[in-house]
Amino acid sequence: MILFRNGNKTKTLNAFHIISLLEGFNLSSLFEEKKREEKEEIRFATTKSPETMVAKLESVATEMKFMVDKTGDESSLRMKRNKIGRKGRLGIMAEIWAVAPSLVVVEVKKSSGDTLEYNRFCSKQLRPALKDIVWTSGYESTPAGVVGCIN
Amino acid sequence: MGCVCSTGVKHTPGYEDPALLAKETPFTVSEVEALYELFKKLSSSIINDGRIHKEEFQLALFRNRNRRNLFADRIFDLFDLKRNGVIEFGEFVRSLGVFHPNAPVEDKITFAFRLYDLRRTGFIEREELKEMVIALLHESDLVLSEDVIETIVEKTFSDADIKGDGKIDEDEWKQFVAKNPSLIKNMTLPYLKDITLAFPSFVLSTEVEESEI
Repeated sequence: MILFRNGNKTKTLNAFHIISLLEGFNLSSLFEEKKREEKEEIRFATTKSPETMVAKLESVATEMKFMVDKTGDESSLRMKRNKIGRKGRLGIMAEIWAVAPSLVVVEVKKSSGDTLEYNRFCSKQLRPALKDIVWTSGYESTPAGVVGCIN
Repeated sequence: MGCVCSTGVKHTPGYEDPALLAKETPFTVSEVEALYELFKKLSSSIINDGRIHKEEFQLALFRNRNRRNLFADRIFDLFDLKRNGVIEFGEFVRSLGVFHPNAPVEDKITFAFRLYDLRRTGFIEREELKEMVIALLHESDLVLSEDVIETIVEKTFSDADIKGDGKIDEDEWKQFVAKNPSLIKNMTLPYLKDITLAFPSFVLSTEVEESEI
């Protein structure tokens, strides 16, 4: 049972937030000669409520042997894998924003640990687990599965 | 055409003394010197004239000289302070300086406003906002339908357009950012604080690498 502090205080995303969230310009490419290991980032919209999303992420985390930390703000979730990996424990952060009535955007990012492990975790475990809640507004699924990714 | 200073070294056009640039931006002198190495590399990648042309900028950002996007265009424009179609060294350092964690917030707020004012009318219009959202969504993995986008833009506008005249002026923008400080999060690049540490490769190497297309 997930309790929100101050009732349901999910952050709202306005158009400018979306612009800055999607990082339209990545100036770091000016500095780097070679692409670093690409970190997968998962973003999707869902018609599930924020509370349902948090609950779903929690249950996915627990199933995959992550420990969930809810001491942050109400609309983000941090989790750390119990097993210690190549660069320490893999840590994931999920943030949830309200975008429109009954539409929520979730962003999942790596917060610590090895990038390759994280990428593998995303493609093999996380994406399949989230498949049924992603809202695709009737679009065809992408070849990579229902949740696409930026490469 | 360049300026030859007392040491006899020929610099690129628009070169400014690192000490001056360090005084006027959050960078240290050695960071400015490191940026000069980067600048020389970027500005000689296609047209070797010591200035960054649009194609060279695109090449550096996208590893593809022909690839464009809305924001890259705007950024190039904004970096081109003299409005002569190229980015010179001084412009490069001063503009990057705005993204430094220690740069004044007012500068970041103004830069963001000008960035989003696509048609340079002095206002952010509803169509411009919608255009930016759509362009970005296209390049991302986030799928939102037309009506959702419309709803979001509508709501954003009603929040920001206090005067209700259908466009966001710089004052309204400043007030909006004051209420939503995270809106200018993308105007800070943390790695600029220690560029010589974050990106040692461009400091050490002076060879131009083959670009990956």
